[in-house]
Amino acid sequence: MPREAEPSLNERQFVAQAIQENLRLDGRELDQYRPLELTFGDQYGVADVTLGKTRVLAKATAEVTVPYADRPLDGIFTIATELSPMTSPAFEVNRPTETEVLLSRLLEKTVRRSGALDTESLCLVAGQKCWSVRVDVHVLSHDGNLIDAACAAVVAALRHFRKPDTSMEGGLLTVYTPAEREPVPLSWLHSPFCVTWSFFGEEGEMAVLDATWIEEQVRVGSCTVSLNKHGEICQIAKLGGTPVEAVALLQCTSVALAKVKEFSDLLDTRLAEDLKRRDKGGFMAELRAENDR
Amino acid sequence: MATERPLVLPGETIDPSLIPSHPKNPLRLGPGLRHIPPTDIVPTVAGQLITNPAKNSMWIEYNSNRYIPSPNDVLLAQILRSTTDFYLCTISPHTAPATLPHLAFESATKKTRPVLLPGQLVYARVTLANKHMDPELECVSATTGKAEGLGPITGPGCVFDVSLGFARRLLMARSREDGGVGVLEMLGGEEGGGLAFETAVGRNGKVWVGSESARTVVLVGRALQETDRGGLGVEGQRRLVKRLVREMR
Repeated sequence: MPREAEPSLNERQFVAQAIQENLRLDGRELDQYRPLELTFGDQYGVADVTLGKTRVLAKATAEVTVPYADRPLDGIFTIATELSPMTSPAFEVNRPTETEVLLSRLLEKTVRRSGALDTESLCLVAGQKCWSVRVDVHVLSHDGNLIDAACAAVVAALRHFRKPDTSMEGGLLTVYTPAEREPVPLSWLHSPFCVTWSFFGEEGEMAVLDATWIEEQVRVGSCTVSLNKHGEICQIAKLGGTPVEAVALLQCTSVALAKVKEFSDLLDTRLAEDLKRRDKGGFMAELRAENDR
Repeated sequence: MATERPLVLPGETIDPSLIPSHPKNPLRLGPGLRHIPPTDIVPTVAGQLITNPAKNSMWIEYNSNRYIPSPNDVLLAQILRSTTDFYLCTISPHTAPATLPHLAFESATKKTRPVLLPGQLVYARVTLANKHMDPELECVSATTGKAEGLGPITGPGCVFDVSLGFARRLLMARSREDGGVGVLEMLGGEEGGGLAFETAVGRNGKVWVGSESARTVVLVGRALQETDRGGLGVEGQRRLVKRLVREMR
């Protein structure tokens, strides 16, 4: 049976000692991210985020269903994460590991509970019909910092997604195909991003951004801050590990804000580029005879 | 040694003119080739076909992702746990744990055997690798009784993952001429400003780099990984070494 490759004692000692000397195995600064790359698929709602060797693909889909009985005026919004054995030998199908549970929980708290997507706008007929928006997160390759990459992928996929247009006439609900009416974007309120800090050293005095897989296995604690570009904090998760000074945590949050602003700008530029790529020059240009069928 | 290096694909017919013929020695087939009696020689992997007319041998040089142990390979294994007679070692996540007898170390007896903790790295040679059996390792040469560089790895240093093909090229006796890898020589030579470090290359795609200075370890490790990832030639490696040395100063 495949086993997870744990770092050896030699590696653990070296990584911990090198971080004390402000050195990382890939030559980055302690507060430097690996280059974040974001691409969109041909379909609406497919986002592919690459962070060094970590790669996450998110796909948003929507279907019409019956709303929950206790929330007749709300649509349904779910995030499903999947860590397949392709990612690492440690993961098995249908047996969620702690990593996977924490990942889905944090995404839930960051994107869903922070009200990034207005679920009331997904309601079609109160108590009878609503949109169910689902985001599937596929981790294609795991080299640390899954949370930040997955969160960026989910937000990007939802911002890029278009759901079919609908209309209500005399109690009759019509869902239009993309050919009949242009699909409409979701009503999106704000874009939260996660920034994960890893702490090293006896008392967690060294804070490191965007830890790789080996650094994640050596760290003494971690803290994930989710916030949007306006500096509104959605959640802070510091799950166990070595206690960290409050002042140091404040410092981390302010650096996180700068990073989140960078991510937001990147997402906005990429979305604008994608829109431009899709825009064929209006309705008449699309109908021209020499276009591809 | 190698004269031509044509690229072959699995199942392809090999041009008969490429197959070496020697008056006396029998033809020896190396990794990646299969003899289908009576006369066919078929490649089983994609790679470069290498022939050695002097030894009347031929094999395929290829790069793969999964390490399959074979006898006489040296590799970096990690101790998993100890049993009464041997240590169980991990070679890679997908290979079965290998056994390393307690007595397979230099001058080890029942009383003076080395005590290794789980997670400790050892540099070992594969002695036995059969199908459906756990591979067996040793840290001592069976003929001389000396360690010959094998044994537990101590001292400050770190392990870097490289591809299997690159590890093999690093292990070649003349790695710059035959394998096209001169990056380690350059780092220790004038391009790298004479860095002091030691390495242990495992066929399982792991390279241990040791040095008193952590900066040197990181530099050497990055140089190795970037050479491997970028598929750099000797000239590219020289530029890479110069750039890294400048960056890390």
